[in-house]
Amino acid sequence: MIGQVVGHYRVTAKIGEGGMGVVYRAFDETLHRDVALKVVKKDAGPDALTNQNLLQEARASSSLAHPNICTIYEVAETEGELYIVMELVEGKTIRALSGNVGLAPESVLRYGSQIAAALARAHDKGIIHRDLKSANIVVNSSGLVKVLDFGLAKRTGPSILEGPTQSFASTQDVSTISGTLQYMAPEILRGEPADNRSDLWALGIVLYEAAAGNLPFAGRTGFEISSAIMREMPKPLGAPVPPGLWAVIQRCLAKEPAERYQRASEIQAALEAVQWGAVVSANPGADQGGARTTVLHGVRHARVKRGDFVLLVGTTKGAFILRSNTQRTRWEVGGPYFHGHNVYAMAYDSRAGRRRIWASTQNYWGTLLRFSDDFGKSWTNPQESPIRFPSDAGVSLKNIWQITPGRPEEPDVLYCGVEPAALFESRDAGETWFLVRGLFDHPHRPRWVPGNGGLALHTIVLDPSDNRRMYIAISSGGVYRTSDGGQTWTAQNRGIRAMFLPNKNPEFGQCIHKIAMHPSHPERLFLQNHWGLYRSDDYGENWKDIANGVPSDFGFAIIVHPRNPDCAYIIPVESDEFRCSCDGRLRVYRTRNCGASWEPLSRGLPQKLAYETVLRDAMSADSFDPTGIYFGTRSGQLFGSRDEGRSWQKILDGLPSVVCIRTAFVASDEAAATAPQPAPSGSAREKFPSSSGKSRSRFQPVSRSKKRN
Amino acid sequence: MPVTFHIPGALREFTGGRREIRLEQSPGILSDALSLLYSLHPGIRDRVINEQGQVREHINIFVGEENMRYTGGLATILPPNPEVSIVPAVSGG
Repeated sequence: MIGQVVGHYRVTAKIGEGGMGVVYRAFDETLHRDVALKVVKKDAGPDALTNQNLLQEARASSSLAHPNICTIYEVAETEGELYIVMELVEGKTIRALSGNVGLAPESVLRYGSQIAAALARAHDKGIIHRDLKSANIVVNSSGLVKVLDFGLAKRTGPSILEGPTQSFASTQDVSTISGTLQYMAPEILRGEPADNRSDLWALGIVLYEAAAGNLPFAGRTGFEISSAIMREMPKPLGAPVPPGLWAVIQRCLAKEPAERYQRASEIQAALEAVQWGAVVSANPGADQGGARTTVLHGVRHARVKRGDFVLLVGTTKGAFILRSNTQRTRWEVGGPYFHGHNVYAMAYDSRAGRRRIWASTQNYWGTLLRFSDDFGKSWTNPQESPIRFPSDAGVSLKNIWQITPGRPEEPDVLYCGVEPAALFESRDAGETWFLVRGLFDHPHRPRWVPGNGGLALHTIVLDPSDNRRMYIAISSGGVYRTSDGGQTWTAQNRGIRAMFLPNKNPEFGQCIHKIAMHPSHPERLFLQNHWGLYRSDDYGENWKDIANGVPSDFGFAIIVHPRNPDCAYIIPVESDEFRCSCDGRLRVYRTRNCGASWEPLSRGLPQKLAYETVLRDAMSADSFDPTGIYFGTRSGQLFGSRDEGRSWQKILDGLPSVVCIRTAFVASDEAAATAPQPAPSGSAREKFPSSSGKSRSRFQPVSRSKKRN
Repeated sequence: MPVTFHIPGALREFTGGRREIRLEQSPGILSDALSLLYSLHPGIRDRVINEQGQVREHINIFVGEENMRYTGGLATILPPNPEVSIVPAVSGG
């Protein structure tokens, strides 16, 4: 190879050889610079498909502009051979520097924090290294660390694995595994997918190796090594390794990912703290006051039990949990939870046997997603917000407007709609979240503009018949649909007017207030617009005006009857300028013919001097028969109907402004689901107890009230 | 150089209830001193700064009696034996 020209690179010397291929020094004859050129071994070489994947991965990795990451310039193919062109890094690997006795602790801290910085950058970009090890971390003569081979391990498959990995390969299905065995996290050995925290485990191994000169988990065979990784504790490191460094390593090497640092930036900070002489604890909950769950004292709790019916009420000053039985006549009030916080989104998740209440909280200390598994007695209080924009997004989280549990067959999937408008998804029951890039990188995004409440993605509608199709709505951006599970999104606003724009019928930019779908008719969607009431019968391709006989087509909330797909409810307000119930009469409007006509429902609601506003998520239905409908007002009143809207009773008043209402039936049968959304998914087919014909009594007077804040 | 942080009530959940955190050895720049505080009490970080590393809009940090927004922001150079207070702004309805 020496002297040959590959592409526009002239090979000048051989640098080394590894499992993946041979690395040469080469000269870029176009840009006149020295580069490293790695020629992928033919027997390690990817097939045509993985070739493409490798190219994609390299493109992603090439975006990792960071002083501690070796930059990939190019991946190309010549005469059937794949080669990778990258920054030429001259120096020694951490493996070589560590020798058999390890590095001085100051060096471990200095190099370790740089490696952590590199990982933090990559993780923010959504790239996991998957094969971090001392042999692919190089320190140059200035002490600058360069992490090599970012993003390459994922796509190149098991054939690049070295040493004991090969013997390990015979005992496992390696099709989903890449990496080097000694650095593999326990969860990968269990067959679980790698995530950021698997890299943090590998960093712990590297730190140990650098400090001690040997690996923490050793063995003669792959089986012995993997067994040690899974079960054994590393041999403690004493002087000269400072206790703070040992504490950081221990926490990196926690067997359970949840017990490790959750982000590389935390490790970087911890290593820097040790450099400054601070005390670091291996136990995240010990002397750091690491509150993960807050038990609330001095707050009255509703004593919820199986068979109860629950209303979740989010307000601008906290959350409330109202408990009743299936009769829904008497209510016990729990709360307020999160004093003074905006709670714009709540949800109940009964999938997989859970009884979990989700709530978003927002105040000047930031926005958090929390949950309670004991109906409000204790709530998570994560040290770090699990929903956060990556640093390259250039924006920061302002509020969480919507929490939507995934479909029943995906019990660990959750979605959140946030402000500024973006969609986040979790696939591990809310433990970790990622930004849905397909939507965030949509070319329309720069032209979405904030509505009155901010630039919010406030509605998420899942198609129960197709787990790749879903809809989101943005104020002001419009309706977007994906049909490939979130990879790509199309604006679906044909027929929806934007009265506030010069072009009244733009492709996007509409100020959608809410959309709703009935699960048995996923092709049909109802939509309440900022001026305009619409229905689509073709998955959002076209919308037609259905404001037939309503006093105003301005409003916020719209819900669909849980069993009758032709039936929907709205609460019109007078106008954009005067967002109060029309003529001072609080009336719910119902259609039972898909919007061909609407009827007012006002019995029991105030009809004089009732200038009320009901916001987009402040109306919900239960799944009893007859169905209960509930809504809350900005003035803090909570109304309910037990007979599908024919008559209404006040459940509570004196609340702060109500911004969210959700319903939940706490099933005796773990498998039974609830109505987590305004249009309860699948509720038409689920079994809920009937409230029976005789239970027609009015709601009992409110048992507890609060003065408005 | 020692530095003393005054912790507001809402964040004491993350300091084991302590009102004051004193670091015997601290870097001389406010952002570095805060990073040290975050590493010891990680819950504080997200409550004080956002994902972009900016101090939250309605949070103020005082070095002595001066709001750091007027002394160089997070790059403020700490005086000897500084007292740093984290204070939510007086705002809201």
